[in-house]
Amino acid sequence: MLKMNKVSKVFKTELVETHALRDFNLTVNEGEFVAVTGPSGSGKTTFLNIAGLLEPFSQGEFELDGIDVANLNDNQRTQIRNEKIGFIFQGFNLIPDLNLAENVEVPLRYRGMGRKERQQRVNAALEQVGLGSRHKHLPSQLSGGQQQRVAIARALAGEPRFLLADEPTGNLDSLMARQVMELLEDINRKGTTIIMVTHDPELARRAQRNIQIVDGQVCDFTMYQPQQESNKDVQLEEALSE
Amino acid sequence: MLNIKPIISALWRSKSGPVLLLLQIILSVAIVANASFIIHERLQKMNRESGIAEAEVFTVNIYNFGENVDYDLQRRKDIEAIKNLPDVKNASLVSMIPMSGSGWSSSFTREAFDRNKENQEEVSAGIFFNDHNFIDTLGLKLIEGRNFRIEEIDYSPNAKDVKAIVSRAFATAMWGEGPAVGKTFFNGPDESAEVVGVLEYLQGDSVGRSTFQHGVIFSYDFVRAGKNAIYAVRANPKDIPQLKKDIKDALLADNPYRVFQGFETIAEIRVDAYRNDALMVTALSMIIVLLLVIASLGLSGMVMFNIQKRTKQIGTRRALGAKKRDIIQQFLVENYLICSLGALLGGILAMQLGSQLMRHYDLPMLDLSYVFVTVAGLFVVTTIAVLLPARKAAAISPAIATRSV
Amino acid sequence: MFLHYLDLAWRSIRKTPALSLLMVTAIAIGIGITTTTLNIYQMMALNPTGERSEQLHAVQLWSHGPDTWDEFHMQITYQDAMNLRNLAPQFKQLAQMRSGMVIQVDSDKFEPELRAVRVTDSDFFSMFSVPFLYGTSWGEQVDKDAAYHVVISEKYNQKMFGGGDNVGKTVYLNRKPYQVVGIVDNWNPQPKFFDPMNGAFRDAEEVFVPFSLLPIEKFQVWGNISGWKHEDTKNFSDTVKSEKVWIQYWVELNSQESRQQYKQILTGYIDEQKALGRFTDNKTSADSSRLNTVAQWLSIAEVIKEDNRILVGLSFLFLSVCLVNILGLILTKFLKRTSEVGVRRAIGASRMHIFSQYMVEVGIIGLLGGLVGLALASGMLYLLGEKFGMDSSLISMSNSMWFIAPFIAIMTTLVAGIFPAWKVCHTKPSVYLKSQ
Repeated sequence: MLKMNKVSKVFKTELVETHALRDFNLTVNEGEFVAVTGPSGSGKTTFLNIAGLLEPFSQGEFELDGIDVANLNDNQRTQIRNEKIGFIFQGFNLIPDLNLAENVEVPLRYRGMGRKERQQRVNAALEQVGLGSRHKHLPSQLSGGQQQRVAIARALAGEPRFLLADEPTGNLDSLMARQVMELLEDINRKGTTIIMVTHDPELARRAQRNIQIVDGQVCDFTMYQPQQESNKDVQLEEALSE
Repeated sequence: MLNIKPIISALWRSKSGPVLLLLQIILSVAIVANASFIIHERLQKMNRESGIAEAEVFTVNIYNFGENVDYDLQRRKDIEAIKNLPDVKNASLVSMIPMSGSGWSSSFTREAFDRNKENQEEVSAGIFFNDHNFIDTLGLKLIEGRNFRIEEIDYSPNAKDVKAIVSRAFATAMWGEGPAVGKTFFNGPDESAEVVGVLEYLQGDSVGRSTFQHGVIFSYDFVRAGKNAIYAVRANPKDIPQLKKDIKDALLADNPYRVFQGFETIAEIRVDAYRNDALMVTALSMIIVLLLVIASLGLSGMVMFNIQKRTKQIGTRRALGAKKRDIIQQFLVENYLICSLGALLGGILAMQLGSQLMRHYDLPMLDLSYVFVTVAGLFVVTTIAVLLPARKAAAISPAIATRSV
Repeated sequence: MFLHYLDLAWRSIRKTPALSLLMVTAIAIGIGITTTTLNIYQMMALNPTGERSEQLHAVQLWSHGPDTWDEFHMQITYQDAMNLRNLAPQFKQLAQMRSGMVIQVDSDKFEPELRAVRVTDSDFFSMFSVPFLYGTSWGEQVDKDAAYHVVISEKYNQKMFGGGDNVGKTVYLNRKPYQVVGIVDNWNPQPKFFDPMNGAFRDAEEVFVPFSLLPIEKFQVWGNISGWKHEDTKNFSDTVKSEKVWIQYWVELNSQESRQQYKQILTGYIDEQKALGRFTDNKTSADSSRLNTVAQWLSIAEVIKEDNRILVGLSFLFLSVCLVNILGLILTKFLKRTSEVGVRRAIGASRMHIFSQYMVEVGIIGLLGGLVGLALASGMLYLLGEKFGMDSSLISMSNSMWFIAPFIAIMTTLVAGIFPAWKVCHTKPSVYLKSQ
């Protein structure tokens, strides 16, 4: 589904070169729910931007859903974002001037979808997140949790191959956070691959697999394999990193 | 001490805003300097003295269409009839009305014109053929010499021994600053006239002509033998409306075969004559005012945007001990830096534009002082445009700095 | 998609009413001023003869002596005009001048009034496409053997007789009886191409009499009489014989051949005159005459006023200030919305999508500005007529302005919008997603 091999990202200013990612290797399989954690400045956001095709990378190989995305131009990347990726942000990033239905509709419009199909999908997506009756509301009239659910509906409406979530519960209280998390898990169960960036170990633990980024490199280990040794390692790692 | 260096580097980093401001200032300086220069030039032109009691003098244009009329006799009767009306101070037959747009002009030489001689300097002037009443009726001021004597007025078709009264501007163009009475000037090879008086002002018919201030009155008359007659009448401004009717009645009673036109005061004729110039002044003033309004609104808008963008920075500065004054000062200094550069470039563009206008149109070269005045004005306007939003910026709480974004 | 952009743009404009108003005002004022000056310029630059422009020719002759005028004069001498009339009768041609007379009719209701009168030849009406309502021009014969015939306008017909077919009735000009032979329907070409030197935007005369009456009636000249040498012209017959120029001369030449032919006739004529001691300047006979089309004639007469050219130039400069100004405002507005753009880009908007969306918004502001600007311009034109007595033909809004003004407005804002829209659509989507 997602395959990164020795991906590097270097930011250059006049004075310094910063390696945000270096020789980053990661494979995510279809249907996985992966949590990405790491301390601030470790390269989480850069990883997310590259994985979401929001930014180009400097070196390495990156294959997304079987497509080599290293040499795509802006328009091609935009099209992949539109069709294959759904984004969920910490700040929801709903467009304040548009009502809920219109917000959900945005990616479908850019896809050039007909009016009827757009409406069906918007209805279905809002239904799925439990906001089927609130089409005409503006984002500012909703609570944070509801807004995030709209954002998820927007991500789902395009029927993406996988979701990229960036601190999806960061701005929510714990009750709402739990609801959103449950929603994501539900979506995952229905077959959508999810990559979630978070700094909350509690949340991360609920994912099938945890990836930790430290200094732009990945420490990959799986949670669900019931092997004692690995588990120990995890605890050791966590102890070390704290 | 003002810290200019960081301000410059801040300006440099946020290029597009300052560049747009700079462009606006450059264009504004170029436009406003040239427009105000043209305005000034037109106002000067419009304010030229006619020397006439403009509010008191009005004209009566008559067209005779009767048959077998002795026009000359008719006119003398008319003038007498007008003068006999109560409230009329004086009346005179005139060959043309200054500033009226139609009349006579010719060019003159210091010596008799000789076809074989090269480079004979000619001075043109508006020419009048009028009697001794003319000067008093119009209220013109003699500054040298005397008026015509009655016996000098010659009504014959081939007048000899012609006397002339000239405007000071004509005398100066002809003979320089000195006294002109007693001098003789020529029209063609064999017509000449002797100057007996000099008027402070006497203008020709066409306000656009460069020799408009040159006026010459001759003591003879040949235009009288026509259907048209123009009378100038002087009276108190309050009596003029009634007099217009009285004069018409009095003259028609004597001879019905004529039509009247005019009945305009010289003040009204002046308004007509300078209508295009007044229009130009109005149009250009409007352009200047609107330009300043738009430019300052735009400037305020951009400063406000800048403040929004820099809220945190300003808060941090305040937290670090910057006074409100310092914040305002920062915005002002920023503005003055841009203005100064804009003034310099705008001044150059203004002079370029001015020289283009001079080359293609009938305009003198733009005076540099207009650029300076414009720039000074711009500094004032932009200061106000910056000060209002900048005061808002200074009110930003230092606590902003501690808030995370 | 375009409709969707329109919808988005309209929401965005309504969301920031003050800023939108400022932008619309800026562009409206710029367009208002530009449209006003441009309209007057366009009206001045009009050629009312259309296709006929190439066929109608005003004749100029270099009859003045050496070291006098350094240009062709726009009028010719009476003697040249009379000679040319006889020289080539195969061409339609006319000699004319402007005069004025007192008009009377056999009616107490009509007070005698002084009127401008055009003194011209019978071909005037066909050459200049003057439409007749009743009757027709006086016959060609009258151009040779003077007759007291008169053509009047329908407007004047209404005023004098109360309208109707009054061909055959009598009008008194300076108390001489003239027989009405034709009544002209509405005809008032602007600029007044056939006599631009006596006021290019004056109304056409409403009374026409035969040129052949000129030497008999000694009509007063209501125009310029210009001389290049000292001549005694104390009465009418002096003027007729003199070298003074005061007659306008037109000839209709429908083809290149006829043009050449007429030019040859002129050259031959000047040869003859040179032999008689006239046309003394050292110019060849061929160079001593010029035939001008209507377009050339209007240009020679400097129908477009200098002040107006300056104002057109300055108003476009003004518009450029407005352009820079709204560029700044648009930039301000767009950069405020970069986070929204970031979201749109992330969820699949291409640069083109974003660029189009913002250009549509800018275009709407331009359209609004253009419409308000048009209203402003009509107001200003009205004021020009009311306060400054500008000729009505110049201050009526030209039809093309209804397209030109919004077009310029939209183009201006689009030009101003390109940079901000480009800048916005090139912001990295990732940068704006984190922050709020």
